[in-house]
Amino acid sequence: MYYLSSRRQIEAKMATLDLDWEEVRDTLRTWREDNTRHSEEVVDMWYYCLRHYKHKLGDERWMVEEQVVIAGLDCNRLDVAEPCLVSLNEQFPGSLRIRKLKGMRLEALERFDEAMDVYDGIIRQDETNSSVRKRKVAVLKGQGRYADAIKELTEYLKKFMSDTEGWQELCDLYLKEGDYSKAAFCMEELILSNPHYHLFYTKYAEIKYTQGGLENYELARSYFCQAAKLNPGNLRALYGLYLSCSQVASSPKCTTQKKKETLRLEAWALKEITEKYSKCRDVDGSKIVETFRSLSVTDKA
Amino acid sequence: MAVIWPKLIFIFGILSLFHAGYSAAQHRTYMRVTEQEFISLPTDIVVQGLLSLVLTMYGILHIAGDFKEIRANVQLQNKSWENVGNRPMFYTFAHRGRALSPNYVAPQSKNSLDGMESIAS
Repeated sequence: MYYLSSRRQIEAKMATLDLDWEEVRDTLRTWREDNTRHSEEVVDMWYYCLRHYKHKLGDERWMVEEQVVIAGLDCNRLDVAEPCLVSLNEQFPGSLRIRKLKGMRLEALERFDEAMDVYDGIIRQDETNSSVRKRKVAVLKGQGRYADAIKELTEYLKKFMSDTEGWQELCDLYLKEGDYSKAAFCMEELILSNPHYHLFYTKYAEIKYTQGGLENYELARSYFCQAAKLNPGNLRALYGLYLSCSQVASSPKCTTQKKKETLRLEAWALKEITEKYSKCRDVDGSKIVETFRSLSVTDKA
Repeated sequence: MAVIWPKLIFIFGILSLFHAGYSAAQHRTYMRVTEQEFISLPTDIVVQGLLSLVLTMYGILHIAGDFKEIRANVQLQNKSWENVGNRPMFYTFAHRGRALSPNYVAPQSKNSLDGMESIAS
């Protein structure tokens, strides 16, 4: 449904506004750099606009075409991806990066074994190619073989230890398998690699919160606090802080002194959330805050 | 228009700085030629040198562009949860979004077990 509506929107936009190709190029560039997944939009922008201006793009053309190939495979629009792949192949014959794209096309066609052969061939030629090793993990993941994917990825991470993307993926794979303590370990690794990143703290705290138990709730509480401190605008962390505080306070093992402090922290988190919503004009914050209050486990009497 | 002024100030400042330096050199040669002892530079050259240094600094600070935030976490504050979870190297293409594509052909399952598998993956 979303696909159809967005497509119609873009078609209408192209027709009425006559979208400027330079604008489209810049949008695609920001998406490429910010690492966002806008596959449908990329395909549409290429198909309805940029395709006709590809000679004006200069050297950027190949980057855009690579982006379009991946986006096209992601949306199962092989009719868009394949012409780009052909022109890339003509421009860079024998390039490993293009061979990887060919492997990805095989993956999209669900010819997983052939894709695996392509990737193995690339690794034989260039052992340091980390992105192809990651694709091998993705092949296993695409087949739903999560346990094998985890094994492959841990092997990979033994060799490329500083790869944050790999650690994040391993964390998500463990979460899929429900192995929270190992997922938490991956997040610890990521926090070490970038101690200023509030989202890593948030995710770690969320995993700990999911694990449950007073100790884990307390740990989650302090990590949510750290995330909220690093970025006061992180609503997800504030919400998590509120929930973990209420869990800690409602625990029977909690001492009175600790309970008092936790309740104060809980009130503070709720106040921050209320303030954030009162600043938003489009959303009626009062109802959301009311819901939050009722979510609290502690009695308010 | 706002960009022109700092540039002009910078050019003026750097020229004036060169001029001050040149005057100082000239002054020393003059002192040597007239066989007087060099004690210190005349005040006008010193003042010109300092003033043009300040002007140049002012100009270049405005030309160089905006400052980066000194706190390390500020740049990371605008990242969204979705972008962090997005890992292009691990994209899988066998996802349910495929069914929204106009040229999607539903798989013909041979038996019920095949159907089960495609749901699970």
